[in-house]
Amino acid sequence: MSFLAPWAFAIAGLAAAGMVILHLVARQRPAAYWLPTTRFIPDQRTLVSRAATRPRDLLLLALRVLLLLSVGAAFARPVLTPRRGAMARVVLIDRSHAVASVFDAVTRAKAATSDGVPATLIAFDSTPVVVAATSLDSLAKTSRTEAAGSLSAALVAARRASAALAERADSIQLVLVSPVAVSEIDSATRRLRAAWPGAIRIERVALLADSSAPWTLERRLTADDPLGPAMASAPRSGTITRLLRGAPTAADSTFVRDGGTAVRWDSTAASRPAAEGLAVGDEVIVAALGRRAVPNAERVVARWADGTAAATETRLGKGCLRDVGVTIPAAGDIALHPPFQRIVRALLAPCGLNVTEHPADSTTIAWLAGAATNAARADVLRGDDTRPSPLAPWLLGLAIVLALAELALRAKSQTEAA
Amino acid sequence: MPTGPYGALLDAVRGVRWPAARRVMGATLGAHPSQLRGNSSEFSEFRPYRQGDDPRRVDWRLLARSDRAYVRLTTDRATFRTSMIVDASASMAFPLPQFDKWRLAREVAVGLASVAHAEADPVGLAIAGAGQTVLAPRARRSVLLEMMRALDATTPAGSTALAPLVASARASRVVVITDLLGDFDEMLTAARLRVASRSEVIVVHIVADDELDPPGDALLAVDPEAPTMRRILDGDLRIAYRESFLRWVDDSAAALRAAGVRYVRANTNEPAPHLVRRIAGETARRGA
Repeated sequence: MSFLAPWAFAIAGLAAAGMVILHLVARQRPAAYWLPTTRFIPDQRTLVSRAATRPRDLLLLALRVLLLLSVGAAFARPVLTPRRGAMARVVLIDRSHAVASVFDAVTRAKAATSDGVPATLIAFDSTPVVVAATSLDSLAKTSRTEAAGSLSAALVAARRASAALAERADSIQLVLVSPVAVSEIDSATRRLRAAWPGAIRIERVALLADSSAPWTLERRLTADDPLGPAMASAPRSGTITRLLRGAPTAADSTFVRDGGTAVRWDSTAASRPAAEGLAVGDEVIVAALGRRAVPNAERVVARWADGTAAATETRLGKGCLRDVGVTIPAAGDIALHPPFQRIVRALLAPCGLNVTEHPADSTTIAWLAGAATNAARADVLRGDDTRPSPLAPWLLGLAIVLALAELALRAKSQTEAA
Repeated sequence: MPTGPYGALLDAVRGVRWPAARRVMGATLGAHPSQLRGNSSEFSEFRPYRQGDDPRRVDWRLLARSDRAYVRLTTDRATFRTSMIVDASASMAFPLPQFDKWRLAREVAVGLASVAHAEADPVGLAIAGAGQTVLAPRARRSVLLEMMRALDATTPAGSTALAPLVASARASRVVVITDLLGDFDEMLTAARLRVASRSEVIVVHIVADDELDPPGDALLAVDPEAPTMRRILDGDLRIAYRESFLRWVDDSAAALRAAGVRYVRANTNEPAPHLVRRIAGETARRGA
């Protein structure tokens, strides 16, 4: 146990010593004895001052000393310090949609924690969750989530977990088990990485392989088609997506049932554009767009800012049929904007492949790992001294009880003396 | 007659005689030799006849034998009005919690009254406490019971002067039962006046053993009648106190005796019947 404000306890100790001295030299008045012949006693002082070798009223003295020490200890803010090890570890396990196999990620995490060093495991996608070591097997059996990964959120969770671990270890090692996709790094990641006072051990796992698989559009788009610029740079091989401008035909249904993807998107249909917000996955744009009603389906692929569906998808046989209710005004340069182009590619991508992830380059990985090779010092990660002491309320309660006992004992003594 | 806690005492003092110390004045037939010579059958002496004597008291046989006229004198006996004045001030409530001084004072008062009442003397009672209780001397049978009730109903408290009661007592024999810690000088003056008027005054001085030798743990003494008087009683002070107290007791006894008052010191460890016998017996010896 240590004290966050030891000076308070020292003051209480001095006060307790003073109390003992007061009990040694206290002026005392003997108990009264009713004697009718008191007048025959020579008149002398009725108080006796003397320094005794033993303090008087030992019980009262003990109560007062304990009272002072309890109050002093409470204000000294005692904290129970657990036994510290040399190192502790925080392991961040990526389970976002960018991870090819959560099982592989968990296996790498197990390997990283197999040396017996105390570790806190945090599984993250867009939200970090602390998982127990015993839950790793269960986590390994789950599939990746549909949410995007966020290294910023993971680093914040790691910082919080390390503050607790810092009480039990001298240094903290941070292990990141992730494919480190580009989409997982945002503008806050750099500052959060700089706030971590040590190296990060990165265990890279495979990025979702399908997400980078090539696909192509069956129909060749003209240059004036608003979807054309988005697909101009798309690869020309791999899975084929059929773009429909009208109602699907029997041939289209056969195409879908055989595993193809048909996207019904009459992007040039006349409608009055208005300022709209459109979200597809993590991509969001605000632009002058037109709305067209889409049928209810089992899956919503895109939504308008007010929550209504902008694109829906229905599984049909082995493939799927997607309806997109977004119309693009003929005038304007929105078709040239990269965010819009990414949305277009996501809406035209084959079923289940509407996420495109790219691995971070080696420069980013090196920056993320850090130049230093050492783990972070625990005292830097430890919380500040303003945290509440769990023992202080109990000590103050004890002090109140002692004060009441002292009051009762003193009243009893006075009654007996009278 | 229900006697309550005094039953054993009354049994113990039954038969005790308490004659007056000298001849008494009074015409009511009683047990004490009277100063008057009258017509009783108890022959005393012959005296030559003087003019004015009752001719019926002339001893005619002696006149016939000696040719001189003598009157026959007899000794008359009269009652002796007795009053008990009991000090019920706070100092009599000692030692706590038994009140030994007050207990002994009550028992002595009842015992002496019983003895006097047995000789047909009217007995009365005056209690000087927080409030005064006065029972005029009476010879009726219930007077003892009234005295017992009055004493039992009293708790020693306050500080009341005894001198007015001594001066106003309607009795020829006044017994003051007190610890003398009140208005001693005034009471002495009143007693001296009563003695001068041929009354018999007896002071029974009640002294508690704890007053003579206070307990060892009594370090701070407080006067119950003056609580602001607080004195340390330790070491040499205890010796000085004892000497001072005994000197005062002796001086008080000497002053009372010098005034013609009969002084009887009574310790609380002395049984009340023994004390009653001692008071009555000493009087009897004096009278003899």
